[in-house]
Amino acid sequence: MLFSILLACLLLAGPSSGGAAVPDPTEQFKPFVEKVVSILTSEEFKKDDKCQKCQRIITVAQEHFDFYEMSKRVLGKQWRKLSKEEKDQFVTLFTRLLQYAYIGKVEDYANQKIEFRKQRIRGKRAEIQTVLLDKDKEIPVSYILILKGDKWMAYDIIVEGVSLVRNYMEQFREILRKEQYAGLVKKLEDKIAMLDKEARATDGD
Amino acid sequence: MSAKSFSRLALLGLSLVLFCLSGATVCPLYGAEDASVDFLSDDFYEDEPETIEVGDPLEPMNRAIFSFNDLTYTWVFDPVARGYAGVLPEDVRNSVWYFFNNLQEPVRFINALLQGRFRDAGRLLARFLVNSTIGVFGLTDPAAQELELPPIEASLGETLATWGIGDGFYLVVPFFGSSTLRDFSGTVVDGLMLTPYYTWADSFEEIATIYVGKEVNKASLHLGEYEELKKLTFDPYIALRNGYFQYRKKLRDHGPDEE
Repeated sequence: MLFSILLACLLLAGPSSGGAAVPDPTEQFKPFVEKVVSILTSEEFKKDDKCQKCQRIITVAQEHFDFYEMSKRVLGKQWRKLSKEEKDQFVTLFTRLLQYAYIGKVEDYANQKIEFRKQRIRGKRAEIQTVLLDKDKEIPVSYILILKGDKWMAYDIIVEGVSLVRNYMEQFREILRKEQYAGLVKKLEDKIAMLDKEARATDGD
Repeated sequence: MSAKSFSRLALLGLSLVLFCLSGATVCPLYGAEDASVDFLSDDFYEDEPETIEVGDPLEPMNRAIFSFNDLTYTWVFDPVARGYAGVLPEDVRNSVWYFFNNLQEPVRFINALLQGRFRDAGRLLARFLVNSTIGVFGLTDPAAQELELPPIEASLGETLATWGIGDGFYLVVPFFGSSTLRDFSGTVVDGLMLTPYYTWADSFEEIATIYVGKEVNKASLHLGEYEELKKLTFDPYIALRNGYFQYRKKLRDHGPDEE
């Protein structure tokens, strides 16, 4: 944090004080989160046909969520052994899996408020600490971001101290150990098919 | 509580603590627990998963108990909790939760002292006094809501950890859930021996009833969360195990301003 302040001062002190300072993560991320929530709770979204829903959310999410970075970390050593096509395939699958985590909770968002509390920046990494307020409960949620160009992209979500990426990482490790990469892909596809089916079933109401 | 049952429980608690002490010396697994987690470092993602630090040598047995707990929760606890939630409004159930939680503050106070966390110990004492009086016998939590004194964790498991005793290994306890050998021994002592509402009871049946009542009440405040979690996991056993260790690290990270 101190280093970035120093750096910003040095840059601003120079003759060409063009915007070379590090952009503020919360300034970028907060409107993005508010946008996603407003889409999820909008009336037209709730009436939308299933596939339009998924695609829309993914497109918006990709503005500030870096699913590639997430996938890279979730697979750990296995990632380096994959071909380009396999990497792309995994990123697509993992993205679809995660989207269900959000779409499934639409009713919840109407009652929850998100408060942005603190942030810290270290070089090209940042952490934004927020709190999810739901009646009496306060759930701390942190986003971990990486600076790509001048855009902050999130690659992990920490809920009550539990990192989403680390949690999946340990699960995937077990599957990779017992069933190798092909087994993991199959499990992902099966799980997505199941979540999809469930979502379509509830949509009928 | 009758002298006989009290001494029986005391023996149980003590033997568990001794067992874990001996277990910890025989398999000395990484006694000192990690410093704060650093999410901003890429090393965080390269490190070995949480469980490797503590080990899960009893995995087959743990998985069996996990399945048992899962079934018991789905077919017994959850329906009962839903029925209970249907009868009692949420405000009342929250008050019950606050009440039980408040009665455990003295135990946390002692543990904080034993860990050298004097500032936290002071805060815990303040919480107990405020909530017991202004908070109407602990039914509400004005300490957290008005006086900026949020709940603080301090258990015997953590005390033993600060004294350098290793976790032993990961343990899934019937009905109770995730723990480790050391931490569960601590829970038995903290929960059964030192908590007022158990010592007031006259028999083991009463203790069991209080425990079940407390757990059903707690479950009724978190309906549906467990099922949601399971939907998004591939191996709920591992997801919970990993989640337990990460969550515990966060609970025990008291930040730089502890004295």
